[in-house]
Amino acid sequence: MKKNRCRDGVWPFFYQILRKMKLTLMLLFLTVLTSIAADSYSQSVKLTLKLENTRIEDVLGRIEDKSKFRFFYNEEIDLEKKISLNASDESIVNILDEIFRDKGIHYEIIDRQIILSKDANNSTSVFQQQKTISGKVTDNLGVGLPGVSVVLKGTTTGVISDMDGKYTIAKVPANAILQFSFVGMKTQEFVVSGKEIVNVKMEEETVGIDEVVAIGYGTVKKSDLTGSVASVKVSDFKTLPTMQVSDMLTGTVAGFYAKQSASAAGGSSMEVRGPTSLSAGTTPLIVLDGVIFNGNISEINPNDIEKIDILKDASSAAIYGSKAASGVVILTTLKGKKGKPTINFSTKIGMSEAASDYRPLDGEEYLKFRGEYLRSLSNYTLPKNYFTRPDRLPDDVSIDSWRSYSSSPNSDNTIEYLNRHKLQTTEVEQYLAGKSVDWYDMVVVPGLRQDYDLSISGGTDNITYYWSLGAVDNEGIIKGDAYSSIRSRINLDFKINNWLNVGINAQYADQDQSAVKASLSRVYRVSPWSKPNNDDGTINLRPMGLVTAEHPLMEYYGTDSYRKANSFFSSIFAQLTLPYGITYKLSYQPSNSWTKNYKFYGDQSTVGIADHVGGYGTRGEYSTFKWMVDNLLKWNKKFGIHNFDVTLLQSAEQNRGWNTDITNETFSPNLYLGYHALQFGIKPSITNDDYEATGDALMGRLNYTMADKYFLTASIRRDGYSAFGQKNPRAVFPAVALAWLISEEGFFQSEFINRMKLRLSWGVNGNRDIGMYSALANLSDNKWYDGSKVMIGVYNSTLANSELRWERTQSLNTGLDIGLFKSKIDLSVDYYDMSTTDLLMSRVLPRLTGFQNIMSNLGELGNRGFEMTLNTVNISKPNLIWRSNLVFSLNRNKIRKLFGDMGTYTLLGEERSGELPDFSNQWFPGQPIDVVWNYKILGIWQEDEAAEAAKYLLKPGDYKAEDANGDYKYVNTDDKKFIGYDKPRYRIGLRNEFSFLKNFTASLFVRADLGHIGAFSSATQSSSEFDRFSMSGMPVPYWTPENPTNDYARLDFVSVRRSVFGGGLNIYKPMSFVRIQDFSISYSLPNTLIQKWDIKNMKIFSSVRNLYCFSKWPGFDPESSQTPMPRTYTIGIDITL
Amino acid sequence: MKRIINILLITLPLLLMQMSCTEDWLKPKPLSFYSPENVYVDEAGFRALLTTLRKDIKYEYYDVYNLSMLEFSASDLGIPTFQPDWTQLTPSGSFYLHLSMFNKAYEFIKNANVAVSRIDNIEWKDQQVRNSILAEALFFRSYWYYRLVNSYGDIPWVGEEISGAKLDFQTYSRWAIIDKIQRDMEFAVKWLPEKAAIGFVTKYAGLHLLTEIYLANTEFDKAIASATEVINGPYALMTTRFGSWATDKKRNVLWDLHRVENKGLAANKEAIFITIDRFVAPADAKASLGTFTMRNFVPSWWTIPDKTGGRGFDWNLAMGDTIGQGNSDSNANYFQSHSVWSEFGYNWKNTPDLRRCDINWVEMEELTFNNPKSPNYKQKCTWEYLIDKADTTWMWRAFPIYKTFVDPKFGRPEGRPRGGNGDYYVFRLAETYLLRAEAYFWKNQLALAAADINMVRQRSKANPISSGDVTIDYIFHERARELYTEERRHNEMVRVSNIMAKLNLSGYSLNNISEKNWYYDRVMKYNNWYSEPRYSRIGGPKAFISPYNIYWPIPQSIINANTMGRINQNIGYQGAENNVPPIETIE
Repeated sequence: MKKNRCRDGVWPFFYQILRKMKLTLMLLFLTVLTSIAADSYSQSVKLTLKLENTRIEDVLGRIEDKSKFRFFYNEEIDLEKKISLNASDESIVNILDEIFRDKGIHYEIIDRQIILSKDANNSTSVFQQQKTISGKVTDNLGVGLPGVSVVLKGTTTGVISDMDGKYTIAKVPANAILQFSFVGMKTQEFVVSGKEIVNVKMEEETVGIDEVVAIGYGTVKKSDLTGSVASVKVSDFKTLPTMQVSDMLTGTVAGFYAKQSASAAGGSSMEVRGPTSLSAGTTPLIVLDGVIFNGNISEINPNDIEKIDILKDASSAAIYGSKAASGVVILTTLKGKKGKPTINFSTKIGMSEAASDYRPLDGEEYLKFRGEYLRSLSNYTLPKNYFTRPDRLPDDVSIDSWRSYSSSPNSDNTIEYLNRHKLQTTEVEQYLAGKSVDWYDMVVVPGLRQDYDLSISGGTDNITYYWSLGAVDNEGIIKGDAYSSIRSRINLDFKINNWLNVGINAQYADQDQSAVKASLSRVYRVSPWSKPNNDDGTINLRPMGLVTAEHPLMEYYGTDSYRKANSFFSSIFAQLTLPYGITYKLSYQPSNSWTKNYKFYGDQSTVGIADHVGGYGTRGEYSTFKWMVDNLLKWNKKFGIHNFDVTLLQSAEQNRGWNTDITNETFSPNLYLGYHALQFGIKPSITNDDYEATGDALMGRLNYTMADKYFLTASIRRDGYSAFGQKNPRAVFPAVALAWLISEEGFFQSEFINRMKLRLSWGVNGNRDIGMYSALANLSDNKWYDGSKVMIGVYNSTLANSELRWERTQSLNTGLDIGLFKSKIDLSVDYYDMSTTDLLMSRVLPRLTGFQNIMSNLGELGNRGFEMTLNTVNISKPNLIWRSNLVFSLNRNKIRKLFGDMGTYTLLGEERSGELPDFSNQWFPGQPIDVVWNYKILGIWQEDEAAEAAKYLLKPGDYKAEDANGDYKYVNTDDKKFIGYDKPRYRIGLRNEFSFLKNFTASLFVRADLGHIGAFSSATQSSSEFDRFSMSGMPVPYWTPENPTNDYARLDFVSVRRSVFGGGLNIYKPMSFVRIQDFSISYSLPNTLIQKWDIKNMKIFSSVRNLYCFSKWPGFDPESSQTPMPRTYTIGIDITL
Repeated sequence: MKRIINILLITLPLLLMQMSCTEDWLKPKPLSFYSPENVYVDEAGFRALLTTLRKDIKYEYYDVYNLSMLEFSASDLGIPTFQPDWTQLTPSGSFYLHLSMFNKAYEFIKNANVAVSRIDNIEWKDQQVRNSILAEALFFRSYWYYRLVNSYGDIPWVGEEISGAKLDFQTYSRWAIIDKIQRDMEFAVKWLPEKAAIGFVTKYAGLHLLTEIYLANTEFDKAIASATEVINGPYALMTTRFGSWATDKKRNVLWDLHRVENKGLAANKEAIFITIDRFVAPADAKASLGTFTMRNFVPSWWTIPDKTGGRGFDWNLAMGDTIGQGNSDSNANYFQSHSVWSEFGYNWKNTPDLRRCDINWVEMEELTFNNPKSPNYKQKCTWEYLIDKADTTWMWRAFPIYKTFVDPKFGRPEGRPRGGNGDYYVFRLAETYLLRAEAYFWKNQLALAAADINMVRQRSKANPISSGDVTIDYIFHERARELYTEERRHNEMVRVSNIMAKLNLSGYSLNNISEKNWYYDRVMKYNNWYSEPRYSRIGGPKAFISPYNIYWPIPQSIINANTMGRINQNIGYQGAENNVPPIETIE
């Protein structure tokens, strides 16, 4: 069947949109949005002031204290007069009218700025004039800063500073405010107040104490934080090929453990501070713009993300109670900002290739391997040169003696040579024709990656908007691996009046997951002497003439696949600003997803002809509808030095899903219609799987701050979820945290420590990530054919457990934050101790029950760890800024309790009594989950050790393992040892950023995961039938008498003698690695250049991901194990209009 | 104001939605699966459970590794090709199904127990219906216990549905379990139907099983009575041609009898109980690969090299379709293919016995190299090109094609000829005769025994025997001739070993059955694999067996998981030293 796949390419679609949406149309759209004008801060704020005989200047000071208003005036204004004021819940306009009545002072409110001038009646007022203003913008070292945007606040009038940082702006009203902004610098505002020269010194925006951090159902200043929250600077990743948000988190955050994915879809695993469960999920909760996100993280366009905050400790996470035991990742998307519309377009084009290769044996190597295998089968009794090519015989072996090795040798020496290797007929033909196949290069191929992103944002006083559209089209490095998506987001916030805001944050994702990959494992199984194509050009399904050795591209060609996942997630909210510092927010999050999963296996696929006859087609239709409602009440009030911030939440949710799978097979009259017409098969089958789960929650939190030095957070949450046993559907999760900003204390005097904060938190979180119906007994169906019709049988397939309850993780966190040398060095360290009880475990039952296991709450797990984040500014010179960020973390995990079954058992050769280990899962009380229990390999038995090896029923060339008790038997409980851990023991990430020559930035990220080992399955090939496939794994340098290596066994080891090793044998190899994970460089075009084209910003950049990996792992890559890891080269451009 | 009203209109329903969150809100609502509470509420629910029990029995005969193959691999007739060294059979490592059978059987017993335990949870209008359902559940439960006690000896008894994490199982004596299933089956045969569609359990299937149980319990009179009831029932040995090949003059009635398409025919009077497996059934209602007879019981003929050492055969061609892509997973021995047919002066070549006639068997010498690319193409097959003659038996031996062949025209689930979907005999009248003959033998009524054996022999045109010929060995020779690929060979040999030990015949005793037993002695006497140990195939280990291998090990995983009680291990296997005396009675 000819390859005929109908993927909806992203490219054409994207062009279509561009073509349709002319710029004028976009502008029209924006104009409509901006015309929805509404009210500003001044109308929403009500003030209460009771003052007797006070100077006006002091009155204004009080207003500034109580509100966000700021007064601007020059020395001409006389504020020495004393007044009395009695305002109760009055608007600012009323208060100001009262203050300035008959004072000859005019005021004007521009948002939160109030500008005072002499009475408007005075026609000479400077505020009525328009002037040309000029000046110089410099950085903190006094060097002129080009490209700074200087805008008249509230207007779209503005200029950009020139190469020397100078600017001139004409027709500036005297009462105007100039706004200076530059990427990476704090935005500054200056009141013109009649001046003609305004020089401004820009300050760097330091990621640090003034940063706002999302803490769940709200934000706090980083300086007020009590818990352990890590923030990720998303801008660092703008130049990298990030497909998913999780791609930014691989190794970059202390205490966040992620493994890169090698697939075209990208994404990586996520785990916060180590595994808190043995069988429930440990993926952190995703919170998107303040609401719980139930979808797949791949639906979120990373380009839309402004900020990532990770809640690591229990207190921070506890407000998400039942879902938070694995930590919380809070994503904040970009929002529109007041001002004229900004259009940003960025594109990244890249190429991926395998970062390292692992090639199968080529034609000659393969023959050598077969000869060695057959020799090892004969236990090296066959003559040494039995398999030697006749024209390569050593001098002392004549061709006749070579021929005499066989009783009736073929007259043709080459044929005889090939026959001795027991090749397949096809292999012989191909060899004689001199045609070998390079399967590897057919399967591991470079892939093209494309990423286009467009966003428009802006706003007025009453509305802000952000809309984006992103398209990704990726090819993986395995032939056929591909992924494409279109993701769009719209964030709107309407300010209806001074007490009501409504808005929506919504996203839509369309993902194409149709890819059918070529089989990499078959590359190592099919002979290089194969015939990949039939004479008519079609692919040869069994290219070496063996049914069991299929063409690596067979599925790629033979499967017609269409898998589309569409999802829509939105949060619709209304926020009411009530009196007394109370706000109420109601938000509703509906989310839908629809997936079509169609596959057709035709007459060129195993599934279509061998597993089924005459083709096999499936149609899966999956949809979900989830909703959640949050009622959020907040109260914020300051009493002198006491600041209270209270949050109350009530929430309910429902998740529903509908799955339909339709299959049919044996189609007639032909297979042309594929999955489009499954009715033409003769064996239709339908499966439905619908589900429904419900949950509810109540939460209260208090943030209390005293004198900006002492901080307290206390919270309590009660959660309910329908998956748990009906005796325990709800659970309560409390938490409390304290912080002390020591550096604010009077006694704290230090020249170099400018900031020091101590944090302490404790809390309990839950995990509900189990199957929705885990507590219920399940009947499964069993179809039986009685000779004329199908009968449905049933049987009990799971046991009920009405007492199933939540896993609880209790954790303690202490942390210290220190700023040194004016925060040039910023250090955060955290230590935590977590303990998970009531572990949800699938308890192994004696199979006598008829069941393998039952879900129960047993067991206890501990995790302790240490994390450190160090930010430094190493060099800060006009032409070079060098910043570093170092993260280090380690987690130590321990199974404290399993099933609670006591008894005596043998382990490590000792008779022990105590809690019994779970040998089947290899869980040992007192040991970490990831401990590796296996034989300690000492090397390979060599020929001079044959006698000793024989006592183990082994032969020279077999693996030699430590026999702990010397009984000449390998018994797992006697001789297996704890030989290491399969999760990294230490994780380090080091990012260096350089800004140089004004317009260049470069960054280098090096990551190291250290101290772990992994099973290398190729070392113990599981197939015992080397005579049929070339190999079942990657080739390894095996032992032969001529090559007595100490690393890998002889080729026939597995066929019989592997079973000598009781309980199974695996060969472990070190997986530690140091990876140059990201390198990028970018160049911002000088403003003088781009100004001509009305471009605000333009940047071109280039990056490499997975540049190099230092590792002793014998497979492809220690992170992707036995598949290739992509190395991606990207170039891109980012334009802001 | 209007806006406020709008907002309220939006928010109020949401708030109300929340108000409705009562206690019911968190109640799980299963949508697409059944739970016990909504199924076992009427007759249809129980019948659905019985359907599962009928399907469970297919575990005996279908797909890659099945029990049927194992029963012959662990007997006097063959070896497990890929692991014939029984020292490698341990409680935690197993090559074939020696361990998994244990787990699966208890799963099937669990299914039966659900019916047994819940039968009186509902009101039955008709006690007859209740009893017949209970009877069928007891039939299947007894069947699997009968299989278990004859594979594993003393085992735990689970007689009711388990509702929680039970971890304190204990071992019951084999005899206690046999007593119990005897009582259960005595009840069951009263209520099982006289007649039923194929694939369903009848009273006579119950009586056949009960006969085996009576024999096992040394209740020989009762065994004779129940077997007689079957023999006098609506069955007859097939003596005339019938079914799909009836007009093919070259063939004979035994060929007809063993065609998968004929087993379930109404014309077939010999079938007492069969399992149904048809290619036309939907994928999940049939065995995924079907019977494996053309692979398990057929030698790997197609790997025989030609003179170049290359492949002289190609199973993709027509010959493969009839012979099968043999792999000889159950490697039969010379006794099975040759010696057992030598009697009354005849040998395998000239015996009149239709069960070894030329048309029903394939001799390797009959094959011709069929690979057109081979220089030996169309020449007679020979083993002289084998580098290592150790390969010979795996690749080279005669086999009964009349039992292994599954016609591809009835559909085959995949390209490789390894059998295919087809029905299988569980109980066939010929076996009932041989069971009754055995009962007569134990009672020393040798003439009656000979008469029953001759019923079976005469149908195959074999020489009749006289009462003087009847020995227990002869009965098992006859079973080998008649029931190869069908019977539960190991199971029956263990049953006989226990009878002899219990009756202290030939010096056997229950006290030391794991050291000395009839099973082992017969295996050593007739199975030349063990008497002259050699490799079963190139690269394979040598065959080796010990008396304690009469029973297979209890899976260590079960002993480990049963943390609150002690389950005994069979003597000879690691862990048996911790055994405690088994419980001797079951209520």
